Amino acid sequence: MKRVNKALFEAFLFLLALTFLSPIYIMLVNSFKNRAELYQNVLALPSSLSFEYYGEAIRKMNFFTAFGNSLFVTLVSVGIVVVLASMTAWMLVRTDNRWSKLMFMTFVSTMLIPFQTLMMPLMQVMDWIRDVLHIPMLNTHGGLIYMNVGFHASMAVFLYHGFIKSVPIALEEAATLDGCSKFGVFWRVVFPMLKTITITIAILDVISIWNDYLLPSLTLSNKALRTIPLSTFYFFGEFTIMWNLAMAGLTLTIIPVVIFYVFAQKYIIKGITAGAVK
Amino acid sequence: MKTKFDKAWFALFTIPLFFIFATVVIIPFAIGILYSFLSWDGISANPKVFVGMDNFVQLFRDDRFLASAWTSVKFTIFALIAVNVLGLVFSLLVTGGLRMSNAARTMFFMPNLIGGLILGYIWQFIFTDAFKFIGPSTGLDSIFFNWLLHPQFALYALVIVFTWQMAGYTMIVYIAGIQGIPDELLEAAKVDGANGWHRLTKIVFPLLMPAFTICLFLTLSGAFKIFDVNLSLTNGGPMNTTELFALNIYNEIFGYSRYGLGQAKAILFFLIVAAVTLTQVVITKKREVQM
Amino acid sequence: MGKVKTSLGLLAASLVVAVAAGCNSAAPADSKLPKISIFQSKVEIAESLEALTQKYKEETGNEVEVWGSAGDAYVTQLQAKLAADEGPTIFSVGSGSEAEKFKSYYYDMSNEPYVQYIAPNMELTFDGKIYGFPLGVEGFGLVYNKSMVDPRNVTDLNSFQQTLEALKAEGKNGFSLSQEAYFLIGHIINTPFALQPDPQGFIEKLNKGEVKMAETKEFQEFGKFLDVIKASAVNPLEVTYDSQMGDFATGKTAMVHQGNWSYGMLTDYGDLGFEISMMPFPLAGNDKLAVGVPGSWVINNGASPEEIKAANEFLNWLLTSETGHNAIVNEFKFIPALTNIEANNLDPLSQAVFEATSSGQTIPWAMNYFPQGIIVNDLAPAAQEFFLTKDMTGEQFLQKLDEAWARAAK
Repeated sequence: MKRVNKALFEAFLFLLALTFLSPIYIMLVNSFKNRAELYQNVLALPSSLSFEYYGEAIRKMNFFTAFGNSLFVTLVSVGIVVVLASMTAWMLVRTDNRWSKLMFMTFVSTMLIPFQTLMMPLMQVMDWIRDVLHIPMLNTHGGLIYMNVGFHASMAVFLYHGFIKSVPIALEEAATLDGCSKFGVFWRVVFPMLKTITITIAILDVISIWNDYLLPSLTLSNKALRTIPLSTFYFFGEFTIMWNLAMAGLTLTIIPVVIFYVFAQKYIIKGITAGAVK
Repeated sequence: MKTKFDKAWFALFTIPLFFIFATVVIIPFAIGILYSFLSWDGISANPKVFVGMDNFVQLFRDDRFLASAWTSVKFTIFALIAVNVLGLVFSLLVTGGLRMSNAARTMFFMPNLIGGLILGYIWQFIFTDAFKFIGPSTGLDSIFFNWLLHPQFALYALVIVFTWQMAGYTMIVYIAGIQGIPDELLEAAKVDGANGWHRLTKIVFPLLMPAFTICLFLTLSGAFKIFDVNLSLTNGGPMNTTELFALNIYNEIFGYSRYGLGQAKAILFFLIVAAVTLTQVVITKKREVQM
Repeated sequence: MGKVKTSLGLLAASLVVAVAAGCNSAAPADSKLPKISIFQSKVEIAESLEALTQKYKEETGNEVEVWGSAGDAYVTQLQAKLAADEGPTIFSVGSGSEAEKFKSYYYDMSNEPYVQYIAPNMELTFDGKIYGFPLGVEGFGLVYNKSMVDPRNVTDLNSFQQTLEALKAEGKNGFSLSQEAYFLIGHIINTPFALQPDPQGFIEKLNKGEVKMAETKEFQEFGKFLDVIKASAVNPLEVTYDSQMGDFATGKTAMVHQGNWSYGMLTDYGDLGFEISMMPFPLAGNDKLAVGVPGSWVINNGASPEEIKAANEFLNWLLTSETGHNAIVNEFKFIPALTNIEANNLDPLSQAVFEATSSGQTIPWAMNYFPQGIIVNDLAPAAQEFFLTKDMTGEQFLQKLDEAWARAAK
């Protein structure tokens, strides 16, 4: 009886997941139709599985260049955020004074600021940096990375702050007695214990930065610098949306992230079971 | 044993990030505050006129803004409940040890991989064209009509799309939390005779408090700042009834070119929500169980 | 000592020569102009524009970079980039309030050689100086299916009503608007404004509250038209631009209120099996298509003098060379607003607009003078309410419009 229940449950789970993904099915199916076919029937399978739209989308989107750009910007941004935020959060948790509390509150409270209100002043600040300090912040990948780090700092610090409490302070004290410098204590003792949350933050940030349209659209202009979301929006005009190409483009955009997620998942499982065995 | 070096270490570890954060978020925000006291259309060459508190006074008289504020509150409450309940349910389903777990987990998370703007367009397509198609052909007209034409249903549509996008996100955080609960605790409880429901409510939920705080806060800020999906799904329609907060500001700044007023609105709302969420964080943090 | 000096001198001299030779050999005889950028809002021509800049480079050696167009978010991005001093060299602005908004960034092109080719009254001017030129004109009216509708039967309110009702009885849809703000109300409301003796003056009075639409003859008839549309045609809120043109292409809808640009939406449907054309919207005796300039290209006065020179060179080439002309008419499919281009092989809708423009049988785009954002932010929501509220009459709708206008014009 229990086995039947379990099997039913599994089937139910699978169906639930499938239904959950039906919009993606719609997206896929329509990337093979032309406008006329799309108009006829939105849900039907396409009459032909020609990859011509994918080919066209790849060409128009300059896909491989955009992919490389997205990869570079995303990995570097996330890398920096993870390193700096974990360091900052750890120091904030272990230091119990006014400054630490104030800093934490500042990080957290700014998570609520809508980007639109910062947009224009941010552009002006970046412009000022370029004029006065001669560091080009706009229309460069470096500038974009800098801004990404700034925007993702709050959430990362917030998440790390919560999980660092689960690192027993005794371990750190032991390491200090053994002669480790603060850096040593952090990198050798604390950071490895933050694996789970680091991966969570990495996944969330990778997805957020990979899919970010607004910030790159304002800061990047050159075609060669474009990230994938920018090149996808190529197909979205003011009045007309070239749906078939857009859908093909979107599918192409999602594939790398899905692959990343599938691999990252395996790593999480390994990390967690390793922790459990310990 | 506080040494002078401690202060230096503190600075070394925290200043780099804080500096970047300050230049990207705090300074522009401060500048934005200054702008809220001006009347300006956003073009550098055009004049900025100091008007003091005028913008703040005006926004209280702006019916559309007040309506949008109220709708945003409604949306946030619905979204908060929907996303967290669904996320929690998914996380429990997926840590139950079934063979399908991994595949299901990937599938539940997939929607989050799609950017908000595009998501909105896809769902818009679904709510208008697809629904219009399904309704008459299945006869389920009362469910499958164009939701985006009716204020109430358009709001529900927004909640659905937001939940679809975010449930996987909270699911991940809850999974991390659940994985952190030692098996021994649950085994011991089983041995003591606690049934599934007891184990869930007396052990799992309390130990999930940190995850819960985080999820609550994340969905609160996410639902609050929602813009991409709002813009592409309904664009505030029908008749501006689903114009949520960020969209209202955006329209004010770029649609009407009333930059100062837009900034003033942003600041006011930010203050209110900051107060609410900080209170929430303080309360739930008190109830967290430290290991 | 002398030998060292001489050899040093020779060395220096040869260095100078080498450098000079190096510089010169890197560029063609006429010194190369700096690379410039174009940022414009029409997604539809993006690819053709890029191909054109490639040809420009082949013909002249100068480079022009096309920045990705962004559709909806174009104005926002443009504003942000200009504010950060990262503006493009050449950019497009929509007519009316949008052009007004950015005018502090325009370079004065009154003395450039190519402005003489702009068709009369089509250039963008402020205070008597020329700041921009149109790439084309556009026109809208009733795009109709010749096999379903005879223009002689659609000449006034009554005949419009009869046509709609007759088609409805046959199970077809006589007329379709679409839910997007401009296609819902923005274009169709242009007609009553354009029919006023002084459209711009009327709008100013309307802004100040000195006149009301509900009390003006042309608008009152407009209200009645809307009543007819609501009663006998499909609800525009259930229609998107895609499905509007789809229904038209498949013979389900007989007339759509659209412009010559909509022809591009029909190409995927192959041979339609019927002919199409465009006729005037028959309000208050109107018998002309509404033709206007959708936007102009301007040069950023914040660019360096060399960049501005390069921009002028490019524009001159665009407006006078054969490659440029070919691109404008055949690739971008614009109806040219230039005196030195011949327009052949236009699609039927563009043909109708072109003929109207050439013969002067047009009404202007009064909507260019509307207060900024009013169509999308205020008129469209009011129109949505009209089409969603069963018993709202055209007359009540006019009152709502007046209220919306009063609020927005403040």
